[in-house]
Amino acid sequence: MRLLLVEDHVPLADELMSTLNRQGYAVDWLADGRDAIYQGASEPYDLIVLDLGLPGIPGLDVLQKWRADGLATPVLILTARGSWAERIEGLKAGADDYLTKPFHPEELQLRIQALLRRVRGLANQPTLQAAGLHLDEGRQCVSREGEEIQLTSAEFRLLRYFMLHPEQILSKTHLAEHLYDGESERDSNVIEVHVNHLRRKLGRAVVETRRGQGYRFGGAGG
Amino acid sequence: MRSIQRRLSLGLISVLLIVGLVLAQISLWLFEIGLQRYLESGLRNDSESLLVAVVRGPDGLQLDEHRLSPGYQRPYSGHYFRIDFDGGHWRSRSLWDLELPQPEHPGLHANLELQKSHQSLLLLHTEYRKFGQKIAITVAQDYTPVQASFALVKQIGLGLGLAALVLILILQRVTVRRALKPLDTAREQLFQLQQGQRSQLDETVPLELAPLVAQINHLLAHTEDSLKRSRNALGNLGHALKTPLAVLMSLAEGQALEQQPHVRATLRDQLQQIQQRLERELNRARLSGDALPGARFDCGAELPGLFSTLRMIHGEHLDLSAQVAQELILPWDREDILELLGNLMDNACKWADSQVRLTIIRDAQGYSLMIDDDGPGIPESHRDEVLERGNRLDEQVNGHGLGLGIVKDIVEAWDGVIQLSGSSLGGLLVRIDLPERHAPQSLRSEPSESL
Repeated sequence: MRLLLVEDHVPLADELMSTLNRQGYAVDWLADGRDAIYQGASEPYDLIVLDLGLPGIPGLDVLQKWRADGLATPVLILTARGSWAERIEGLKAGADDYLTKPFHPEELQLRIQALLRRVRGLANQPTLQAAGLHLDEGRQCVSREGEEIQLTSAEFRLLRYFMLHPEQILSKTHLAEHLYDGESERDSNVIEVHVNHLRRKLGRAVVETRRGQGYRFGGAGG
Repeated sequence: MRSIQRRLSLGLISVLLIVGLVLAQISLWLFEIGLQRYLESGLRNDSESLLVAVVRGPDGLQLDEHRLSPGYQRPYSGHYFRIDFDGGHWRSRSLWDLELPQPEHPGLHANLELQKSHQSLLLLHTEYRKFGQKIAITVAQDYTPVQASFALVKQIGLGLGLAALVLILILQRVTVRRALKPLDTAREQLFQLQQGQRSQLDETVPLELAPLVAQINHLLAHTEDSLKRSRNALGNLGHALKTPLAVLMSLAEGQALEQQPHVRATLRDQLQQIQQRLERELNRARLSGDALPGARFDCGAELPGLFSTLRMIHGEHLDLSAQVAQELILPWDREDILELLGNLMDNACKWADSQVRLTIIRDAQGYSLMIDDDGPGIPESHRDEVLERGNRLDEQVNGHGLGLGIVKDIVEAWDGVIQLSGSSLGGLLVRIDLPERHAPQSLRSEPSESL
């Protein structure tokens, strides 16, 4: 999952980056609203965390611009202005959720998690379920029929992306784009390696290879 | 407060009465004097013809009977004379058995009673010399008929005067009412202002009222502006404090403190306290309370936004319904009402299984806001406790709202009452009764009453 964080307060952005990275999200960080307008629309983000008090151009305007340009990426607003009037304004501008500062890091994690599932049309349950697997995003481990299987961070990221997009054909480039932030080097072989690790832990059938197209999770065999 | 109309009427009546009475009295007096002068010349004529009738006869002075007017012959005819001279006196026959009052000085005398005849006399006493003798002639005329017609004229005049007074009063009332119409309009507009039906007074008023209206409008704009500015400043302050707080909260949860659970717990606790206090006080400071008379919350325009926000936050599985009269306008600040409803409905949504219902009713006493849900509710024994502490209703559900505390602040600022009870849907019913925005007394009375 690749997120865009737009936040001008550097210490908070640092904190959020490290928290979100720990939770297996690839995060790009921008501090200026004008950059955000461009980058939010050009990169394939799965979710955008947007602070409203931005220098240059107010966060609400950035959001309105994105929505006017047809950007459908879910946006979670992060703001110190927590009154209901402002909340309604934010959601009217096209936000999908609203989190007021200060917040518990866990709360942000839960909101992001819930929002990502909601966008995919999945129920907001404690674990992410697909193809007989239960993924605990907090503990970053997966269980099948009560049996718990530990995952590395990279495996967890990959599996989560697969589980959020079950039965879809996902190319290696697509996966690389959504699993790594803009600054990491993207090597499609790494994806291959991680897919193989997953297969070893969860069984070969869990991820199907479509030659020349990519991978498909939770297909007939799963 | 005395009404201008009443004051004007009272002033006008007293001035008109005083001036009218003085004028009437003076003109009557002048008229009477004029009349007496006129009658006096008649009497002088009579007196002189009597003098002519006095002739020298064989045994001294004689009165020539043929020269006397017949009025002096008929008893009590109203025309009398008496001639005094050295040798005796003559009286007119018309005096019959009565004595003509005898004034001491020559000249005109009025209002002399002719003994029991009830005739009021106008009497002229003149002294002459004729044939070497002193002759005093007193002629008198019955003045009663003149007085009677005079009294009639007086009555007619009084009647006319009263009629004129009534007419003037009516006209004055009409004029004043018309002149004061802008005041009525302004008063009506002030009432509408209080009701949230307008936000400014109409500036097209007469010259005299213009400074007042302009001043009120200026004050309104100023209040609104300073409210906006202070809200903005509070927002900035909140932003400035909350962002670092978010950093600290994130740090407290981070790996750095994993080895020091004690420090982490204290930090967490203190940060929580700061946050709650900050949130509560900032929210309280944001409340406009009663400051802005032109405040209004248009249910039809605002509720859909609130509802879609709540649906977005809590998911589409909840059935949110509103029973609110069409075009209902609540006379309170939009942001305050949104804060009130938002917090209460947010709580309701967190607890509800499937249904949340908002009802707003307007009745004679004011407005009732009711929020129903079909969640678990709060047992009766706990309700007071929850209200008293301004407890978080949402303690066990995620979120850090201080929902009920802020709601309590708002309701208290408006002199309202908040009650918790069982809902017909099965969960909790939060009922808030808000009294009508109090307007200054006379604002509410009908224009005709106080005029």
